[in-house]
Amino acid sequence: MRQELPDWLKTAMPETAAAPDAIARTARNQVESLGLPGLRDEEWRWTNLRAIQRGRFNAPSGVGADIEPSIRLPLDNPLRLRFIDGVFQGVPNEVPEGLTLSSLADADEETRQAAFSPTPAPSVENPNDALVTLNTAMASEGVVIDVAANANIERPIVIEWLDGATESVMSHPRVLIRLGQSAAATVIEHIETVGEQPAWRNSVIVSTIAANAALTHIALGLDGASRLATERSFASLERDARYHSYNIQLAGQMIRREYDIQVGGSGAHTDLIGLMMPRGKQVLDTHTRITHAAADTTSNEHYRTIADDAGRGIFKGRILIEEDAQRIQAYQSSNNLILSDDAEIDAKPELEIYADDVSCSHGATIGRLDQEALFYLRSRGLGLDEARGLLIAGFAQEVIDEIPLVELRDWLTERVEQRLGDRGTAGNETA
Amino acid sequence: MTETQELEQLVQREYKYGFTTDIEQEIIPPGLDEDVVRMISAKKHEPEFMLEWRLSAFRHWQTMKEPEWAHVHYPKIDYQALSYYAAPKSQEELDADAPESLDDVDPKLLETYEKLGIPLHERAVLAGVKGANVAVDAVFDSVSVTTTFKEKLAEAGVIFCSFSEAVENHPELIKKYLGTVVPQGDNYFAALNSAVFSDGSFVYVPKGVKCPMELSTYFRINAKNTGQFERTLIIAEEGASVSYLEGCTAPQRDENQLHAAVVELVALDDAEIKYSTVQNWYPGDEEGKGGIYNFVTKRGECRGDRSKITWTQVEAGSAITWKYPSCVLKGDDSVGEFYSVAVGNNYQQIDSGTKMIHLGKRTRSTIVSKGISAGRAENAYRGLVHIGKTATGARNFTQCDSLLIGDRCGAHTFPYIEAKNASAQVEHEATTSKVSDDQMFYLRSRGLSEEDAMNMVVSGFCKDVFNELPMEFAVEAQALLAVSLEGSVG
Repeated sequence: MRQELPDWLKTAMPETAAAPDAIARTARNQVESLGLPGLRDEEWRWTNLRAIQRGRFNAPSGVGADIEPSIRLPLDNPLRLRFIDGVFQGVPNEVPEGLTLSSLADADEETRQAAFSPTPAPSVENPNDALVTLNTAMASEGVVIDVAANANIERPIVIEWLDGATESVMSHPRVLIRLGQSAAATVIEHIETVGEQPAWRNSVIVSTIAANAALTHIALGLDGASRLATERSFASLERDARYHSYNIQLAGQMIRREYDIQVGGSGAHTDLIGLMMPRGKQVLDTHTRITHAAADTTSNEHYRTIADDAGRGIFKGRILIEEDAQRIQAYQSSNNLILSDDAEIDAKPELEIYADDVSCSHGATIGRLDQEALFYLRSRGLGLDEARGLLIAGFAQEVIDEIPLVELRDWLTERVEQRLGDRGTAGNETA
Repeated sequence: MTETQELEQLVQREYKYGFTTDIEQEIIPPGLDEDVVRMISAKKHEPEFMLEWRLSAFRHWQTMKEPEWAHVHYPKIDYQALSYYAAPKSQEELDADAPESLDDVDPKLLETYEKLGIPLHERAVLAGVKGANVAVDAVFDSVSVTTTFKEKLAEAGVIFCSFSEAVENHPELIKKYLGTVVPQGDNYFAALNSAVFSDGSFVYVPKGVKCPMELSTYFRINAKNTGQFERTLIIAEEGASVSYLEGCTAPQRDENQLHAAVVELVALDDAEIKYSTVQNWYPGDEEGKGGIYNFVTKRGECRGDRSKITWTQVEAGSAITWKYPSCVLKGDDSVGEFYSVAVGNNYQQIDSGTKMIHLGKRTRSTIVSKGISAGRAENAYRGLVHIGKTATGARNFTQCDSLLIGDRCGAHTFPYIEAKNASAQVEHEATTSKVSDDQMFYLRSRGLSEEDAMNMVVSGFCKDVFNELPMEFAVEAQALLAVSLEGSVG
């Protein structure tokens, strides 16, 4: 059953919003009846929003504008789009040709319409869409990234989500990414907590990728013990378009990330690659939905989770093949490691298929380390901890290796190894 | 032959078991309230505790809402328009003086079962071509009409009788086990069943006994506008083992009929229960009109260490199937298995699968599910593998494959996997594809007709499951599959 919208959230509805009037009005009327999803909603059976329900979050007050991220990504001349507690800090002075960056607040009606009309359209029937609707009703900040046809933007565009600068702040930012025909760009979400304060960000990214264009979307959830996030990404692909998503989640109290990918033109392809490493009491959750709406499209999904301490890793991946979308190849795998008896992994790989000329498969595994590999390493003289460490790092590395930016790949490898090195003891798993 | 011609042939195919038996029946008027529950209980001459049990289930049911999460669509069921009890009249009269031999049973009933190919008569069984040694309990609408081989089973100490008889003759066993695997309020349909169930089979295999023959129940819905709610309870004591098979058919009617059964299995230390189902309720016509709503709760509990429960099912009938035969693996080293072939044609809808709940140490489970969709059928596998915190060293292997025949059907997979133990090992694989042109071409080039080639591919696809069925029924299942898919190739 849906949970009632907490009072503090009801009263927080802003007078003005970035969404076009009609859309904002509808959303504002819906949020109260939608409430927040609860454990009895199918899509939320493994993740609860109690921390949000019980929190009391305020709209950002705009202080702390001079905050810098403490983590530096090894990127070559990136274009930074900084949000502090969800407040957009403005566009860079110099942008390469073919790229237009603008604040959503200054955008024209048509652009705002596009930012608030994702495919598939959120529905009141779906409790899962309550948070998108909430974002629509409340979003006042955001950014628009426009890439002109045939432009290849080599400099990475980095959205810096710096959360928790002030106490108990919530934010509902909205991002629109539009790629013209045959354009290419890389957008990186740098997610970091800059204070000790609890914070909740409910962000939505809407991407439209025109024919033959390619968007690389990398999300890096880097730290934050009390960071709460409900993040949704929509991407719709036209003919021969590409959407490559890499989702690395290394921290956060409760992170729920959702992807809706509409593979809508023939020849289009999407990759969804992910790594989640919950520990402590972290809950890291990713839900993906790929809709093959056109014939001759392909998708490839590969998610891995390593759950330690009392951490929980949740993955749900759905592949939907619509009627008459023939000659589809869709592959999905979810591999998971549990390193502690207090940790938990939940996985639900789904196939929903309405066409017959398809080749779809998914595989899901939950398990401990490969005992033979462990034996081999030990026979070579490695200690148990060392051998285990090597295997766990190797397990994570297979995901990191897929990231196309070499500098970032090496940097992440180091960070993950460091993170695994912190483990200390071998836990309670026996070899 | 062109595709259209073949499809036409399919349309003309008839459901073999669609006849009705013209027999005088006692049917209580439609509607459901406490009085109906009391009436059913009184008709069965039940002791007080059973009535109380039914009433508490009914009260609970009234507070519940019909679930909507399954991947099926159907118009709302009007529970007040159904009749909750129907019995062949002669049987009703006979109940009073408890028939001792088959000669007392209405010949029309025997004829019905004869038509269904069930060797109800003991002599028929003995003379049976298959040489099977099978004891049969036959349930006609709401009551069990006869159980064969009782004496021979009694010698071994096995109790195999209708549920009503068990309530009368073995109330202590019923009291001890009824509702302990599927509680009254487990789900909407289980609660409804608990309130109004009419009959079913009861099996008790005492300690150390290996049941000397296969046990089998045939369920038949005959009356109009009735729901069938049977309840089966099988108990295997320490070291006991039993193999049980159920088959189901119903007449061809335009309206939908509800079948909401509950099956409970209890396996104690070292016990083994093998439960096989060949489900062939009337699936509705080619337009999707009529057919049985098969909403069933089946669950087995491996209560003892080293116990084992195997579910094998061939689901070919019913307009809508909604069932998840499950295993609760409580005992250490216990084993749960689920082998399923679910085939849907025309407008059939299937949402079926299993749950494997691992609680004991070193518990193991295997799931093999084969779904076949043809015509406009929707076939979904829904399953749960849960590894609890206490289930150290638990293992699961799941394989679910779907085969699509035609471009207007759907095949879906919704597996839930939950693990809370670091030593758990869970593997899940699923594939969906159509019968490949290469396979068909090869078989056709060897001189097989298109239909035969398709049958061969399909039976190969299902082989893993058919191998698990008791020998006699594997043959039947294969034939059933061929009939269900008849003409669906093009």
